[in-house]
Amino acid sequence: MESADEHGTNAAGEAPEPVAPPTAADGETTVTEEGTELERSIGLKGGVAIGVGTMIGAGIFVFPGLAAGNAGPAAAGSFAIGAVIALLVALPASELATAMPKSGGGYYFISRALGALPGAVVGISIWLGLVFATAFYLVGFGNYAAALLAEAGVAVGGVPVVVPLALVFGVALTALNLFGTENAAALQNYVVGLLLTILVAFLGYGGLDALGVFGASSAPETFFPKGVMPMFTTAALVFTSYLGFAQVATVAGDIKDPGRNLPLAMVGSVLIVGVLYVSTIFVATSAFGSGRLSQFGETAIVEVARAYFGNPGALAILVAGLLATVSSANASILSTSRAVFAVSKDALVPQYASRLNLKYGTPHVALAMAGGPVLVLVALGEVEVLAEVASFLHLVMYGLMCVALIAMRRDEPEWYDPDFRVPAYRLVAGVGAVASFALIGFMQRASQLIGVAIMVAAAGWYKYYASDVQLKGVL
Amino acid sequence: MTADESTDESAGDDPLHVREPPRVLVPVEVLEGETVSASLAAFLAPAEVVVLGYHVLPEQTPTEQASMQFEDRALEAVENVAETFRAAGRDVETRVAFTHDRDQTVDRVAAEVGATAVLLPNPVGEIREVVVPIRGAVDADRLADLVATLLADDAGEVTLWGIEQPLGGFDADAAVEYVREALASRGLPADQITTEVTEADSPVRSIVERSAEFDVVVMGEGGESVFTALFGDESERVAEGAVAPVLVVRDRTVEE
Repeated sequence: MESADEHGTNAAGEAPEPVAPPTAADGETTVTEEGTELERSIGLKGGVAIGVGTMIGAGIFVFPGLAAGNAGPAAAGSFAIGAVIALLVALPASELATAMPKSGGGYYFISRALGALPGAVVGISIWLGLVFATAFYLVGFGNYAAALLAEAGVAVGGVPVVVPLALVFGVALTALNLFGTENAAALQNYVVGLLLTILVAFLGYGGLDALGVFGASSAPETFFPKGVMPMFTTAALVFTSYLGFAQVATVAGDIKDPGRNLPLAMVGSVLIVGVLYVSTIFVATSAFGSGRLSQFGETAIVEVARAYFGNPGALAILVAGLLATVSSANASILSTSRAVFAVSKDALVPQYASRLNLKYGTPHVALAMAGGPVLVLVALGEVEVLAEVASFLHLVMYGLMCVALIAMRRDEPEWYDPDFRVPAYRLVAGVGAVASFALIGFMQRASQLIGVAIMVAAAGWYKYYASDVQLKGVL
Repeated sequence: MTADESTDESAGDDPLHVREPPRVLVPVEVLEGETVSASLAAFLAPAEVVVLGYHVLPEQTPTEQASMQFEDRALEAVENVAETFRAAGRDVETRVAFTHDRDQTVDRVAAEVGATAVLLPNPVGEIREVVVPIRGAVDADRLADLVATLLADDAGEVTLWGIEQPLGGFDADAAVEYVREALASRGLPADQITTEVTEADSPVRSIVERSAEFDVVVMGEGGESVFTALFGDESERVAEGAVAPVLVVRDRTVEE
């Protein structure tokens, strides 16, 4: 293998495996060096569904109570800040993805633009970041399942059921992905469509009501009851609600007509969920004061629905919450397995990790590396820490993606030919990078420590296992 | 979608006056152990053949990941299929694809190579008897090019079977006659052609029921309808139920 000498090998003697040069990609297929065609089968709708489906679980169904408790009505501002940062990152990510429409997403861009060490740190920490995110979604699911049981009058004898339910479902989702899921993507599209319908109806009515269309306008609460600072710390907490858009880039290798569909799917899904999040907080804080809202905890939005539509409304939102958290958790498990594949393909971790099981055709090792640690984290059940560590690790990647864009544009290698170019790229990517890193500063100390520890461990692993591997500019 | 009806007389001294040499796409799910039997290869050998080895992956598996692990095996399996055709005297073009969606890949490759027909495989022994069920508009010229080429040199007999549905406005007698003439004009001897017309409530079920009497079914795509959207293409349903391989003659698309 000639690339073995060129790009170095890891401690096990494995070299990065180039599959196909970026020039070999067209709208419908990627062609490998040996002439095999890799079909692209996800259209724009599918791409948006991946983005929205990953994101929507958290912002609406888990955070409103927590966020309102921290920041009051200004929590709407926190979500808006999150949306702006996500957009500032989505634009550079879109450009990089159209230039390199391959599986791996942010990790791939960073390792190619900035080199193997930043690549390894991002690649390994994004694996764990997705693990934290999945655990967070599953705990959210557990809350909804428990609330649904309570609503149905099932007595659990005062035993806490949230974590056990989340664990059971985590195992079920991992197993489902191991044994193949026929038409999972089509199902995901329907689930997301149904969710959006329920939410738009609910938020539309609630929003008009809050504005006083159906009777007395609710008395506006002070927007910053606790000052401006909590708006930023809350933005850091709720940024987990925006982690999905970059997941679209992790399936870039499967997206049809990537030059058009990737940017539209990434930017579009951020805009869709951003608008929904901000309206949700607006409606929720109008229905109840933020103080009461925070007492309802993770399922606060159910009480909001009950206030507007009675028990049927509460039930509809409970079901929607179940669907949304499941769809987020499932999408994250899949992204995790793709993240593991991306680093193992490049020999940063043993290539054994990307083995497929021939019978089911599924990446069983990578899925186990996703599902296993998720269960451990779910058992801890710390929603806020899970969310913040997930955001921390993603934000590092987002910031570095912006840096990667600037590096790529400065060097402009010959093969670099994106279909989509960010206007005023220095400004957009510069502000995106600064904002991403700044948001980390507003997190809890515990989350910051865990995040830094993971990154240091990733760098240590690279030094030990793969310090000879070269990735910069390798395609 | 009937093509231009003027029969092309410029075929020169080729005893078969085909308008264009037919080209058959043979999709083979190679990693599932699918192959093409020697008898089927021998039957198809008079036409140009493109072998498409494909492997369908679940959505959670990136095609790239699968190609890293299975590419060599897929290439080897396709090479074996190509070898079967070479043994039958036909050099083939081969393609290999990893996909999440079989139909999308087969349709794309069929359009790219300009295939006259796509094979839906089923086990088969020696091939003599070909049936062409005609139950609606079909690209008779393409169909005739294909059947005349495959059955040249007394390779077998063809039964043109018109199927009329009660209340359907389709004139099966005229359609069968048109295809018979198209075959005759391409030089297929009359004693190799049999015609018949029957009435059936469900053409698909009738074709499946009678498929055991024949060795290969050649049929048109059958167009799109609410029914096909719900239950799949007629030809696919025939292939699922029938005991014989099915050659689906593709409708001519605009860009071809």
